[in-house]
Amino acid sequence: MAPRTRIPGTERARLATSGAHATTLRRLTAQPGADIWKGNIFLAALLFALTIALAGLAAIILQAAIEGAPAFSIKLLTNGPSTVNPEEAGFRPALIGTLYLILGVILLVVPLGVAAAVYLEEYADGNRWWNRVVELNVQNLAGVPSIIYGILGLAFIVRGPLDLGFILAAGSLTLALLVLPTVILASREAIRAVPSSIREGSLALGATQWQTIRRQVLPAAIPGVVTGVILAVSRAIGETAPLLLVGAATFVTFNPSFLGDDGYSALPVLIFNYASRPQEEFRVLAAAGVVVMLVVLLAMNSFAIWLRNRYEQQW
Amino acid sequence: MGNSPTEQPGRTGRPNEDGQLHSEKPNDDRSPAQGISVIREPARNDDDAWTKDTVFEVKGVTVCYSGKPAVKNVTMDIFRNEVTALIGPSGCGKSTLLRCLNRMNDLISSASVDGEILYRGQDLYGTKVDPVQVRKLVGMVFQKPNPFPKSIYDNIAFGPRVIGMDNVEERVEKALRRAALWDEVKDRLDDNAYGMSGGQQQRLCIARTLAVEPEVILMDEPCSALDPISTGRIEDLMAELKEDFSIVIVTHNMQQAARVSDRTAFLIVELDATEDSRWGQLVEYDETGRIFTNPRDSRTEDYVTGKVG
Repeated sequence: MAPRTRIPGTERARLATSGAHATTLRRLTAQPGADIWKGNIFLAALLFALTIALAGLAAIILQAAIEGAPAFSIKLLTNGPSTVNPEEAGFRPALIGTLYLILGVILLVVPLGVAAAVYLEEYADGNRWWNRVVELNVQNLAGVPSIIYGILGLAFIVRGPLDLGFILAAGSLTLALLVLPTVILASREAIRAVPSSIREGSLALGATQWQTIRRQVLPAAIPGVVTGVILAVSRAIGETAPLLLVGAATFVTFNPSFLGDDGYSALPVLIFNYASRPQEEFRVLAAAGVVVMLVVLLAMNSFAIWLRNRYEQQW
Repeated sequence: MGNSPTEQPGRTGRPNEDGQLHSEKPNDDRSPAQGISVIREPARNDDDAWTKDTVFEVKGVTVCYSGKPAVKNVTMDIFRNEVTALIGPSGCGKSTLLRCLNRMNDLISSASVDGEILYRGQDLYGTKVDPVQVRKLVGMVFQKPNPFPKSIYDNIAFGPRVIGMDNVEERVEKALRRAALWDEVKDRLDDNAYGMSGGQQQRLCIARTLAVEPEVILMDEPCSALDPISTGRIEDLMAELKEDFSIVIVTHNMQQAARVSDRTAFLIVELDATEDSRWGQLVEYDETGRIFTNPRDSRTEDYVTGKVG
């Protein structure tokens, strides 16, 4: 039986095998149909959206760099503003004003924002209605237009209860209130991301709740908090409207101080002023000012990102 | 579910019995005569139990989450320098019970504990008792290794530092040696603890607990995330540690309970008639050898022989 049947048997087996291979190959080959096209179109749409976003950013930077190029010189950083002599005009008092404002914002917003976030995450009982009201309001506050904070600053900080006058500290305080919700929300996210096993481990050793928060939760939450502060500061640095209301003047020719009441300025305010003048030279100055502001922003963000990476933690 | 809050677990009757008995028999007997008869019973190694110090006297403890009981009416004594194992199916409340012993349940706002837990004669839930102080004396090792995101050294040093101990450096070395980890990590104390293997991380967590010199160590399924070799190391460690500490371990693994523990408590899931409420109940608590070879309750026998999971 074996010799007679073996040959046709192998033949048949071979045929069957090749047939099976062909079938398998056919099933593995891409199907002609809309699926692949749909996938490609979707990918193209995604890339298109990304391109638009990046193109907008590139356009702003390029436009500002090209238009402002004639004004690029150290004078931009060392000289004060001038209405009569645009060639000699610079941004020094406004730049220093902005740096002071931001410094004040960071000093106010980090402790306040982190403290509020710690309370909401670690202490507040989410089942109590007043805690839920606070939460909801913090979220809503993050979306309130900045001009409203300007009015608030004017009514309550510059005048009204605090009565600080038109000083730089009042500007810092107003901007800090404006970005505080952002910092609170980001810090809450960061604190929530710390696994509860870390808290339990610490408490099980006999650490108090405060020691646990201070020495385990907050250090582990630093990267997230820093990210929130980056976002907040990036917003604060570009705000013009509230500053105009709380007294940032455009033409300040001396370096400002926190509490001095002879006026202060900020980069976006001065840029706005230059840009609204008809003469070409001032437009150039405004563009150069935009570049200065972007450089300041990038420098601060790079520092913050470095800080964040330093403390980054994988769970 | 409805009647559970009113069903105050034997605060009135049982404590007396247990005080005399050292609770060899916690199962919820219905015969009033039993209490008397057992006292006279010169059973097995009861002499041993009589002479041993208790660390915990659990008396009619019921733990509820949002009013629903997770474990009902548990009465047992836990002895010093022994390994006590809590075994039973999922949901029988063994972890819940364990977490009562160092007041970790306080962290869950919906949890409430009825009944009485005495720690060396003092009510652990007394009004003057600070849970933070309790946890200094009763340490805990968790199911999943949870090292802090810090260096190995700082992981151990954290406990002694926060509770204000001196000679932190010495304590770190001592704790690591006791946890049989020193030789493996002595050259990399400054490395992040997350770079260690799972077994090493768990031994680090044990060392961390030892560093604050507790009297009792609670272990909540400490080996369930580990491979057999790491598990073996931790089991060996427990055998050494019970010389100096009392250990209570929750485990899913019956063989582990048989290997490491001196006494074993078996808990079971009870359902009410309508099956919409379930809770854990202590069935039997005895010397481990007896639980595994000659249990009194048929349910224990079914469980330890693998008839039911």
